[in-house]
Amino acid sequence: MSGGASPLAGHVEVLPSDDGPATEARFAVGTAETVLPGHYPGFPIFPGVCLVECAHQSALATVPDGAKGAELEAVESTRFTGPVFPGDTVDISLGWKATGDGHWQCRAKLTTERGNAASVRLRFRTQETPEAAA
Amino acid sequence: MSGFVIGQRDIRARLPHRFPMLLVDRVVDVVPGERLTALKAVSCNEPWYEKLGPETPDEDFGYPKSLLVESWCQSAGVLATWDDPNPDVLDGQVMLFGGMTGVEFHRPVLPGEVLEHRVRLDRRVDDTVLFEGESRSAGETVMTVGRIVMAFRPAEALRPPP
Repeated sequence: MSGGASPLAGHVEVLPSDDGPATEARFAVGTAETVLPGHYPGFPIFPGVCLVECAHQSALATVPDGAKGAELEAVESTRFTGPVFPGDTVDISLGWKATGDGHWQCRAKLTTERGNAASVRLRFRTQETPEAAA
Repeated sequence: MSGFVIGQRDIRARLPHRFPMLLVDRVVDVVPGERLTALKAVSCNEPWYEKLGPETPDEDFGYPKSLLVESWCQSAGVLATWDDPNPDVLDGQVMLFGGMTGVEFHRPVLPGEVLEHRVRLDRRVDDTVLFEGESRSAGETVMTVGRIVMAFRPAEALRPPP
C-alpha cells in the first residue's frame, strides 16, 4: 500500500479493532532509523516530518472502503508538542471523515509515554474526483 | 543559475542537519529578514530509495512528501538564522519546528528534479517566526506552503528526560 520511497526504516503497526475499522496504530522508533545519524549527529531526535510520515502511513493502512486509492493532497495542519527520541514508541489515534467531492480528512494524534508529541490533519483525494474525471 | 549566494560549506555552518538529512544544496538568492531561494537536487542515491526493487512502479519513486516539507523548512531555517546562525543543537538558542498549516502537494517530484524552494518570512513575533512560500521544479509549482511556524528555544528544551 505504502510501498514507495519513505524516510521511515521501521513499519507502522495497525492495532486490531474489536468493533469496526481500525483507528489505532503504533510506530517504534528504532535506534537504526535512517534519518537519525543526520538529525542530529551525536544528538538523535526523531524529526517532526517523520511523525507526519507516521501519520500518513497509518492513514494509508487504515483507509476506509470509500477512500481506496486515496493520495495525500495536503497537510492541513500539524502541531508539534513534544520531542520524540530513539527508543520511544509512538501511539497513533486516527479518525477519518469524508469531506465531499472525493476528498477525505484524516486526523491523527500522536503520543509517547511522556505525553502528546503531535497532532496532524491530512487531506486525501481519491482517484474518482470530479476534477480528475474532467 | 551558475551563481549562488552560499554553498555547502556555509550551509553546514548554519544548519545542524547532516547526511542523510541535510536537504538544502545551495542558496541562490537571499534578502535577509525577508526572503530566500534555495535549491535541492533530488537523487535516486538518497537512502529513501534503497529498498525499492525492480517491480516498483514509477509513481513509487516520488520524493517523500514529508521530506519535501523538511527540505523547504531547512531553507526557512537558513533564512531565519541568517544574521545569527547556530549549527549546534546542544547549545544556545535552537530552532524548533512548531507546526504548519495549508501545505498542499500539486504533483509528484521524481529523482533528477531540482527543487527551488521559495521562502518568505511573513512575521516574527518574539521567539517565533512564521514563513510562507512554495517549491517549484521545471517551472511548475509542486508544493505551496500556507504557513510554517518555527520557534527558537533554549537547547535544554530538546533534552531527553533523565
